[in-house]
Amino acid sequence: MRNPSSLKRDFLKKWLMGLQIYTTTNRNMTVADRKRAIKLSADIALASSRNCATRWSRAVIAGTSVHDGSFLVANGLLGRAVCERIKQSSSKITRSSWSSGKILKRSRRVGRRKKCRKPAAEWIARRLVQKRTRTLRGLVPGGEFMDEVSLIEETLDYILALQTQVDVMRCLATTAYVAPPSL
Amino acid sequence: MEIRVGTVGGSSPIGRQSDDSGLESLQFCEEIQGLMTIPAENASSFTALLELPATQALELLHSPDSAGGATAAVVTDDSVPKPYFSAFNCNLTFPTNSALIERAAKFSVLAEEDSPDTTSKVALNLEKVKNEPTTETDSNPNPLQTLISDPAVENTNQRPTKRKEREKKGKGSTKKSKNESSEAAEKLPYIHVRARRGQATDSHSLAERARREKINARMKLLQELVPGCNKISGTALVLDEIINHVQSLQRQVEFLSMRLAAVNPRVDFNIDSILAAENEPILESNFPSMVAPLMWPEIPVSGTRQQYQPQWHFDGAVNQRAWAMDEHNHHNFSTPENSLLSYDSSANSASLHSNQLKMEL
Repeated sequence: MRNPSSLKRDFLKKWLMGLQIYTTTNRNMTVADRKRAIKLSADIALASSRNCATRWSRAVIAGTSVHDGSFLVANGLLGRAVCERIKQSSSKITRSSWSSGKILKRSRRVGRRKKCRKPAAEWIARRLVQKRTRTLRGLVPGGEFMDEVSLIEETLDYILALQTQVDVMRCLATTAYVAPPSL
Repeated sequence: MEIRVGTVGGSSPIGRQSDDSGLESLQFCEEIQGLMTIPAENASSFTALLELPATQALELLHSPDSAGGATAAVVTDDSVPKPYFSAFNCNLTFPTNSALIERAAKFSVLAEEDSPDTTSKVALNLEKVKNEPTTETDSNPNPLQTLISDPAVENTNQRPTKRKEREKKGKGSTKKSKNESSEAAEKLPYIHVRARRGQATDSHSLAERARREKINARMKLLQELVPGCNKISGTALVLDEIINHVQSLQRQVEFLSMRLAAVNPRVDFNIDSILAAENEPILESNFPSMVAPLMWPEIPVSGTRQQYQPQWHFDGAVNQRAWAMDEHNHHNFSTPENSLLSYDSSANSASLHSNQLKMEL
């Protein structure tokens, strides 16, 4: 467990580094481009400040693509070797969990036939939870390939990290506001 | 508070961690460190929290908020000379250590409570499941050692604890388990998974129940983390809240990045070639100073914060201001801005934009 403010500091540092890498790669950006650059670099900085110890951060790094330059940022922040390793391992994970997912689905279907005599209310409740779990999987990066326990753990971590990110960005935004009037 | 970090100078992880949070969270950080000597990649992650009892973990979670009062106290200490600080730190570590040991002892009592032979006395409608033996729970001079020894053992200790609590609730207070736990010394290669009357006892449903309990414990943590969620019961509703929270956070990130992109071209620097020309050297020179000196290594302690502000470059200034914002609530921080000349000149162009946005907000 790290100190929240050291995490913040780390994040800000990495974020600024990432932004620099962005701006050195392409100069002319519209507001939308800039926004995207800020967002992507913030995400990557968040993931890399987590040291890639968590699965969602690894998923974020693995999701970087060469096209929008985010892979360059990730390379700059983490080092090329680490990025390559994460990418490779994540693609492996993806493939393996796809196949196991299929198997799981089949076995679940078999199991469901037995459980048909469960009371309707319980069945509905379970369906509700399943639906929400699926939504949550979509929200947490890399969540598609997690079981429920680790999904919840990763969600915990992700929420904390997001809060850090929001705090830092808000601080920066407010400082950006305060500056002009003082001139 | 950064100044204090400077004095400690990264000498020890404990000192490093003690910078912002007060005594409370210092204790807990240390405790966590003690408990979590598992590999480094786990140690830094939040999920390490999950091995703690829920209440402690929660206190840890909320420590950033509660640390505000403590930081104030720390800030007032800024003028204290350096040697005193180290002494202060030493003083700090002693009570925390004793508290830590005490707590760890309690914790291990809980863990030992579940060690097989006690439960074999208790067990009436219980049944045994062959599991991995708890080899390390024998009498150890340092109660911490039993806990740190192995994450796997810790897990096996931790899991039955929850079950034990449930069991107690279910049975009422028929047994005084603490007394029994004190006599617990020998080890058996069994771990008990309990089933209440009417519950299935085959290994599959036991495993399923263990998994569900694990999920529930984590859900409880998550519930505490998400504001306004701890009064809701029902997994689906809690999940709803969590989803909402995550979505709102993600949306906030989107919005803030939009705002930053619109407001301050300096944040993602050098958009215009002019700006690029005048900024790049600053940023370059700033870079090494940005990496280390957030820790304030070379600045002597014996001064107030205000004296150093003219020395800051752009990035340091933004950092400093950002962190100070946290503490001072945006108010008494208008003074240093006059010294940050390089910043304002470019932000001028953005001021129109920013005012517009402000209106929208």
